[in-house]
Amino acid sequence: MRTTFAVIAGVGLLLTTVPMQAHHAFSAEFDISKQLKLQGTLTKWEMINPHSWFHIDVKTPDGKVEPWLIEGGSPNQLIRLGVTKKTLAVGVEFLVEGYQARDGTNKAVGRNFVFADGRSLFLGGSAPAAGATEGK
Amino acid sequence: MFHRFVAATALAGIVTALLLVAPTAAQTRKWTVPRTADGQPDLQGFWNNTTYITLERPKGVTTEFYTREEALQMMKRAADEEAEQTEPGTIADVHYDFTQFGLDKSQSPLALNLRTSLIVDPPDGKLPPLTDEGRRRAAARAEARKRMGALTDAVQNQSLMVRCILMDRNGPPMLAGAYNNNYQILQTAGTVMILVEMLHDPRIIPLGARPQLPQQVRQLEGSSRGRWEGDTLVIETANFTDKTAFQGSSENMRLTERFTRTSEDTITYRFTVDDPATWTRPWSAEVLWKKAIGPLFEHACHEGNRGLYNTLAGARAEEKRAAEKTPK
Repeated sequence: MRTTFAVIAGVGLLLTTVPMQAHHAFSAEFDISKQLKLQGTLTKWEMINPHSWFHIDVKTPDGKVEPWLIEGGSPNQLIRLGVTKKTLAVGVEFLVEGYQARDGTNKAVGRNFVFADGRSLFLGGSAPAAGATEGK
Repeated sequence: MFHRFVAATALAGIVTALLLVAPTAAQTRKWTVPRTADGQPDLQGFWNNTTYITLERPKGVTTEFYTREEALQMMKRAADEEAEQTEPGTIADVHYDFTQFGLDKSQSPLALNLRTSLIVDPPDGKLPPLTDEGRRRAAARAEARKRMGALTDAVQNQSLMVRCILMDRNGPPMLAGAYNNNYQILQTAGTVMILVEMLHDPRIIPLGARPQLPQQVRQLEGSSRGRWEGDTLVIETANFTDKTAFQGSSENMRLTERFTRTSEDTITYRFTVDDPATWTRPWSAEVLWKKAIGPLFEHACHEGNRGLYNTLAGARAEEKRAAEKTPK
């Protein structure tokens, strides 16, 4: 199943999910009219709350490098699913679809995070122990 | 495809767990409430209260319990909604993907039961009618909120949750939010601590005959005192403020919470809200807490709350852009 997914999942094919009750209104932080796609390399992942932040370097068409900050979800459940700071290597390349911050700076919410080979960033329910409980 | 896979994986877990709901009488008899070294009923450990069951009974549902088939359908519908597609360029789409971060409910431990609402009393599973005073206060609060201006006019206009001051998981009463509904209970001879993962908030409850704080000492989470009634930990809380309103409650709400270990991996949490200034009668709800994976992880919400800064900075930048466009 996972292999099938890796083959078929182009960005355009990815289903996106209905956001549930969130910590704050993301549409107040990010501009619905500023949809963007960024391809970049990871320089740092801040596994912080209430939401994590991915620092990426994006190459512009004229060869310059622009640093961007991409907002993602709370990392706590990922940690339970076995994800650590080392799960994502600095230098890994990925594509982000999202919306830019209303203040116009290089910040965005990451609607979809997809690796260059088409895999989705973190595998959610397919990670080990997802939804499982264990003793003390 | 991927999200269907996620939903299917999670649902497989739900089906398995549903089969375990309502253990047989024989299983129940074998199990006895564990004790701490000093003889208290042992509630200690890590717990999670995520549920798909809504506080009030959904429209069209008239029974107190679902059949297993109905419960499964209800959860499947809810899980499907979590995995539904959003349209690019819509407000719902301006968000990260919960499933990528494991934050949808179907990827959380669920303490399953067949109830159709968390509210168990009144028997219709709905909040009781508001009193006249309750209605007037709700209208006055809405009016006061309007006078404060837009949410982005001042940091104080944002909710306590957005400001990382108080969340629904903190309560009391303690109810699940969208994700990270994790708790740790720790007991000593004279005190129970319930650590809430969200906001990393330790709720410390003295046990025994200590009186509540004086009436004039008001706290966001009230003043709590606990005692044991048989195997049940009973916590009474008063002295709330007017800065919080649980379902529209007043600061004089009196809350009684009951924690009973009902199986090795379940606490039955029942609370009663008594607030005659708001509702025509007291009401009660019941939620199961399921044993969960420890430890709790840090949730330094205020320190990392860039979203609040970005929201206000965004509003200021938009005002500036609008002013520059306006002809002088």
